[in-house]
Amino acid sequence: MIPFHGRTRAGSNGTAVIAAVAAAVAVVLVLAGRPSAGASQPSGHPARIISVIPAVTEMLFAIGAGPQVVAVGSFDEYPPEAARLPRVGALLDPDVERILSLRPDLVIVYESQSDLRTQLARVGIGMFIYKHAGLADITTTISALGDRVGRQKEAAATRAAIEAKLNEIQARVQGRPRPRTALVFGRDAGALRGIYASGGVGFLHDMLDAAGGDNIFADVPRQSVQATTELMLARKPDAIVELRSSAVTEAQKTRELSVWKSLPGIPAVRSNRVTIVSDPRTVVPGPRVGDGTELIARALHPEAFPK
Amino acid sequence: MTIRRRFAMAMAVYGTLAAAAIVLAPLVGSTTIDLGRVFDFSTPFSENVDAQIFFVARLPRTLAGALVGAALASAGVVFQGLLRNPLATPFTLGVSAGAALGAMLAITFDWTLGIAGLSAVPAAAFLGATGAVSIVFALARARHRGLSTDVLLLAGVTLNAFFSALILMVQYFADFADSYRTLRWLMGDLDVSSYQPLLSALPLLVVAFAAFAWLARPLNLLSMGADSAETRGLEVASAQRRAFFSASLATGAAVSVGGPIGFIGIIVPHLVRLMVGSDHRVVLPASALFGAAFLVGCDVLARTLLAPVELPVGVITALIGGPFFLWLLVRKQ
Amino acid sequence: MLRAADVQFSYDTLAQPVLRRVSVTVPAGGFVGLLGPNGSGKTTLLRCLAGTLRPTAGRVTLDDVDLGTLSRPAIARRMAVVPQETRLAFDFSVLEVAVMGRYPHLGAFEIEGPADLALAREALAATGTAHLEQRAFTTLSGGEKQRVIIAAALAQIGGTRAAAGTILLLDEPTAALDLAYQLEIASLLRDLQRRVPISIVVSTHDLNFAAGLCRTLVLLRDGEVLADGATDDVLTPGRIKALYGVEADVQRHADAGHLVVVPLRRAKGGPAA
Repeated sequence: MIPFHGRTRAGSNGTAVIAAVAAAVAVVLVLAGRPSAGASQPSGHPARIISVIPAVTEMLFAIGAGPQVVAVGSFDEYPPEAARLPRVGALLDPDVERILSLRPDLVIVYESQSDLRTQLARVGIGMFIYKHAGLADITTTISALGDRVGRQKEAAATRAAIEAKLNEIQARVQGRPRPRTALVFGRDAGALRGIYASGGVGFLHDMLDAAGGDNIFADVPRQSVQATTELMLARKPDAIVELRSSAVTEAQKTRELSVWKSLPGIPAVRSNRVTIVSDPRTVVPGPRVGDGTELIARALHPEAFPK
Repeated sequence: MTIRRRFAMAMAVYGTLAAAAIVLAPLVGSTTIDLGRVFDFSTPFSENVDAQIFFVARLPRTLAGALVGAALASAGVVFQGLLRNPLATPFTLGVSAGAALGAMLAITFDWTLGIAGLSAVPAAAFLGATGAVSIVFALARARHRGLSTDVLLLAGVTLNAFFSALILMVQYFADFADSYRTLRWLMGDLDVSSYQPLLSALPLLVVAFAAFAWLARPLNLLSMGADSAETRGLEVASAQRRAFFSASLATGAAVSVGGPIGFIGIIVPHLVRLMVGSDHRVVLPASALFGAAFLVGCDVLARTLLAPVELPVGVITALIGGPFFLWLLVRKQ
Repeated sequence: MLRAADVQFSYDTLAQPVLRRVSVTVPAGGFVGLLGPNGSGKTTLLRCLAGTLRPTAGRVTLDDVDLGTLSRPAIARRMAVVPQETRLAFDFSVLEVAVMGRYPHLGAFEIEGPADLALAREALAATGTAHLEQRAFTTLSGGEKQRVIIAAALAQIGGTRAAAGTILLLDEPTAALDLAYQLEIASLLRDLQRRVPISIVVSTHDLNFAAGLCRTLVLLRDGEVLADGATDDVLTPGRIKALYGVEADVQRHADAGHLVVVPLRRAKGGPAA
């Protein structure tokens, strides 16, 4: 912020002082309206990056741009260095003041954060716009990110690693019968209420597909489906994989799995093919998505993977 | 027409409506089922998908809709009588805000402890509702003249605002999925998938409905003013307390089963009064029956309009309720 | 007979008492007027007499039975109150309103029978509102509403078959009414008492209304009884000056047949002792 030099002198010269104050205020307003002295398009590579998106934060660190990251979002936990950085909010509540005060030259934002984008554009701070989409888009985003921060080589390497992992998984599950699967990513604890499963669109669906499972909701053109009792009974999944982002104790797992017993009509419940995978790698569409896909594949085809 | 005749006619008409809704609703859904197979008892249940869909998915849901609809509609009538205001709803006094806070805490912090057959989220919702009711009642107790309905209203509105603020605060600790799930809970969800929540809520509702039966005549008297009612032989303070607690109990039980489904508590009483007059001895039971039919109907729409995707039932009641309200306002001119 | 003996009342234990040692007797078949300026305690006294307020000291008795020992329905069967204004929250019909007066006579789940309906209808007829039976109460004029409420109160104490010793209390019955309706209510009440042996208590600040109807008057000032007795004895210029701080002329009006008060000017120095 441009410092404001205005001091009122008690008593004398009141009018002159007010004029000086008014002039100073006018100067401040004019200067604030102009783009800051860093120019809108950085000529070099960004040196101060802020990311409010967990997946992209992981990507930045994976391609070696970690040292340039000065702040992250509220839900960014990986890698540990990222978790130690200052936090500036997330999708619904980005702290614009904080973001601006850190003087970034690149801010990673969601496409839907229109208010934030407008404010950053007004000040002339560079943005990388992220849209949450499918599995293939993850590698595309990594490449684009690499271009933007000047880490093309590392980005290509990360990309290759992911693709190799996915190919390896595909080789292992090739030819095996693909179970009709429900990929559940949210549900009320201890009850079969509020069940949300992946629809036929999005990276969760793509992960399931790569892991050798057929999504029972593949025909629904949405990222999430509220899986009502009737839908689950009608669609008869042979396997259910429940994704949790944080670790779950064995006792909790047993308890949560037993909740499904109230619907023995579902083939997956009858043949004991309900699994809980509690690992953040399965819910973050970032560089570790290959690991996440493998975890799902292990749940569906345990015999295809080494112990 | 004497009141006896009006009561009998209302019971016949609305009772038939409710019964028809309950019988027909499980026949309809996003999946086609074969009725013959549903009732084919030779096939073991665990292999009879049609029977499972009918008896496990649809029937409990229909019954939940009937109970919740009856509870919210009749609680609406009682609150309107208590507050002497036809615009009062079961949620005016903060019951649903308390329930929402409870549910949100349970969802965000993954509570697993349930009580009396209710799983964590419904149990937390009910406790939240109870908490809100206690606070409002404590605030509204005037020093020596029983319950002041003005203070009750103010306390309820204030509590609504305060709990909403708390909910926003809990949002801060919630991750994206939790916020989404809480939002969906707020829109109502009747997919109980088992009879257990209904069995848990049933005793509470039976108590509440019994109390309502006793409150019908007192509510008639109260509509002329508390003082007038007193001079006509009503123990006003006791009647107001009974009305407040029984209606809150019905609302709390309903919200814990299906979430805070809006508009039923105000559309149904209005429509019923238009058709049967204002005598609470007819309006109360008629509203309960019509409320049951109405919510079951809304739930059928919710699960079939955009099949296989489901609309939250609260969205359907709002879509019907909003225009209805506008019409009411225009009519009053 | 309804009697208040040394009644004291405060709304708040710390506040000044609104009524101080007030004693009033309503004889059977009597027509008592409670007069006094705003804040004199008229309405409070009326509510104590009706049993809706419990005196903080002293007692109110109905036929020598303390009101505090009677249940509300028991009191309601003997005494009915007509408030100054009735605002109905919902659309009840006139007949429904009149029938509500019968509720104190019904058991817990008892429904009003043909006898109750007949009583309610007779009461409506007695107040000239029978033709409004099916109308919605909220659509009536002020005067019509008041007459319907009087009918309901009448039905409450037994209608045209009311027993002697039942009491009708009216709080400012003419305050919100046009002149024509005021006359109507006055003649209605007079007429009523001729036919049915009820006692009537009226709280009002309309001196002429009271003078025309009441046989005894109770003058209240600052929660104390200034004077009480036969209307002709109590309604004097001296008393009016003491009560209202107004110099007035009191004369017997030949045509009206009762005392008439004509206020002339404010008294110097306000209400005297």
